[in-house]
Amino acid sequence: MRKLDRSGWAAGLTFRSYGVRFGVRTGDAAVLERLAEFLPPGTTAAPAGIVERLYSIRTGAGGVVERRGLRRFNLLYADHVRIARTVDLEELFERFESDLQLFVAEAARRRVFVHAGVVGWKGRAVLVPGRSFSGKTTLTAELVKAGATYYSDEFAVLDPKGRVHPYAKRLAVRGEGFRQQRVSVEEFGGSAAKKPLPVGLVVVSEFREGARWRPQILSMGQGSLALLANTVPARLRPLEVLETLERVVRGATVIQGARGEAAEAAQSILERAS
Amino acid sequence: MGERTVPARPKARAEGVVVRELPDEMLVYDLDTHRAVCLNSTAAAVWRLCDGRRSAEDIRRALEKSAGGAIPEELVWLALEQLGKDKLLDARVPRPAALAGISRRELIRRVGLAAAVALPAVASIVAPTPAQAASCLPTGSACTDGAQCCSTVCNSNACV
Repeated sequence: MRKLDRSGWAAGLTFRSYGVRFGVRTGDAAVLERLAEFLPPGTTAAPAGIVERLYSIRTGAGGVVERRGLRRFNLLYADHVRIARTVDLEELFERFESDLQLFVAEAARRRVFVHAGVVGWKGRAVLVPGRSFSGKTTLTAELVKAGATYYSDEFAVLDPKGRVHPYAKRLAVRGEGFRQQRVSVEEFGGSAAKKPLPVGLVVVSEFREGARWRPQILSMGQGSLALLANTVPARLRPLEVLETLERVVRGATVIQGARGEAAEAAQSILERAS
Repeated sequence: MGERTVPARPKARAEGVVVRELPDEMLVYDLDTHRAVCLNSTAAAVWRLCDGRRSAEDIRRALEKSAGGAIPEELVWLALEQLGKDKLLDARVPRPAALAGISRRELIRRVGLAAAVALPAVASIVAPTPAQAASCLPTGSACTDGAQCCSTVCNSNACV
């Protein structure tokens, strides 16, 4: 860390997101101008001071040459640990976003982050918990196209009362390979939410080719387990997490089933949520 | 003179667990193993009765009294075995000689439809680490486990 600290840094900023303070410093001031699109929704600037995590970005343009004549790498550090080394600056930003999102989700104060897609429908939220490749972004996008209000395709941010708050980043639609394409909710013809909602329906599903959507209702306990399996701070703050999830399942219906095409499932889900 | 066998008196774990009561169910989180267990009403009732003083027969009689109908001993042993397996008891309790060697399936068959309560049911998961619960890492990122990568492949500490 001291070696990293001794390097010259041209610029730095401090931020706060869900009560978590983090800083970013770089040798290339132009990098800071791009940062806004990779910060968690609702992040605000904060006065300089002690931070819980410090990101350091060295771009290739800044002259990091490992051997004469070879490519210049962009480097990203989270505190003293190097977490990215790439010639592709966009890849570095994606890595920054991914690491920062996870860190905030772990450390957030008075919020429990559940990996889920979320939409609002008739005054209640619909949660679609799931990790990557479960199809939750696709399903979330179809729900928005069908008229639901967009809350997030990444996290259900739950408060102690079990209400879900917006985390309305651009939807991360998967393109070729595993690179993600960022699409704004407006491009889907939808709108982003502004206020928290109680949860009305939790949909535990994953895509299976040709599956017919015939979900079963889960008990509150089973619903809690399904949510817990996708909760970021589950091991870090189990009591707080269980209390929050209990408030969610006490007020919501939890259903589970395999689904086929997202558009068809979305209609059925909104009918059930009505 | 025959050897007397002292009946086991199962005791529910009190240390290292977080318990949440739900209507007809109970959630128990093991702080050591990070396993979360959901007990249905029958399993939860048996667990509550495991106070270290009651034998399995005492538990059966107490369940029978509250259910208002017959409770076969096999049902209590099904619950005790599952609770022991999920480390929710201070110690696993061995079956009595009369039930030794009988498969779980046979125990369930014996309970049949005669019991006044549902079969004990226990569902469980292991709570994820933050990395396991969150989004995947794009190709080129540093990793320690394939589960962290979008591609699910972590090779030489990099997602490929």
